[in-house]
Amino acid sequence: MVRDAAIVVAASAVIALVVNAVRPGGLPLVAKEPYRILVPCPEPGGEIVPLAPADVRWGQATDLVIDARTAAEAAAWAAPGARIVPFDFLDPVSHEVVADLVATRSDRVVVYGDGGRPDSGEEMARELSGHGVRHVHFVPGGVAAVRTHLGTGEGAP
Amino acid sequence: MNRILTWRGHGWIALALRLYLGGVFLVACWHKILYPATFALDVATYQILPLGLVNLQAVVLPWVELAAGLMLVVGLRTRAAALLVNGMMVMFIVALAVALGRGLDMGCGCFASEGGDDPISWRTLVRDGTWLAMGLYVQFLDRRPLGLDRLLTRNAP
Repeated sequence: MVRDAAIVVAASAVIALVVNAVRPGGLPLVAKEPYRILVPCPEPGGEIVPLAPADVRWGQATDLVIDARTAAEAAAWAAPGARIVPFDFLDPVSHEVVADLVATRSDRVVVYGDGGRPDSGEEMARELSGHGVRHVHFVPGGVAAVRTHLGTGEGAP
Repeated sequence: MNRILTWRGHGWIALALRLYLGGVFLVACWHKILYPATFALDVATYQILPLGLVNLQAVVLPWVELAAGLMLVVGLRTRAAALLVNGMMVMFIVALAVALGRGLDMGCGCFASEGGDDPISWRTLVRDGTWLAMGLYVQFLDRRPLGLDRLLTRNAP
């Protein structure tokens, strides 16, 4: 049985090499350059729970509120007491940032973002959860929902 | 135990499994033989083989699949064909497990995989495991395979 299998492999290899040699556009048997492989990098992602603005304990140490928008947007307006941690869709959240957030020992981490599609707040919350941060929430609707709830601009960021 | 091994029904069950497995391998090899460059990229994407072996594998493997598939379908050197199929399945399962363990988000490359179809997942692994179990059944329980093997044995002087 093993001998038969070995013969089949050898015969198949010979046929394959001959066909490859005579066919137009046959492959070089040894690749000259590395293949350009396009595989998306694995991103950590975990469970997150949406949290309405009314359920967030604004300004209290128990809830660590994070503004995930760009630095410029957050400089224009951010929720009182919110920590500004701009989220970059192309750049993973650094371990230093995660360690910094965990060190606050808050009961919950609540992230709000630009409210777009995808929402930077939701994406950041998912990534933080994937890094092992527990009790991570995001505010559906992002900054517009936050501002509407806090009465500081009727949803206009 | 001996009664189980010598049960006549094994031949018919194995025939069904052989036709199915052989068909799978014939379908799987077709696209790879026609488009070796695409298959070479699939092989490279797994990032397991050294670059020098990627093209050789892409050229030879589909022809071994073709031979093993044909042999299973017609019942020629059936157990050797099953041994080849099982060897390839073990190889595919290891490659899949490594890729999944690395978190690679990629196509399987098992069949016509243009356009990123057929992404790898744990289901792919289970599917391949099922095929391996079928191949082992044929290899170890199909003692007198129905097909050319039996015809040739019968007509032997």
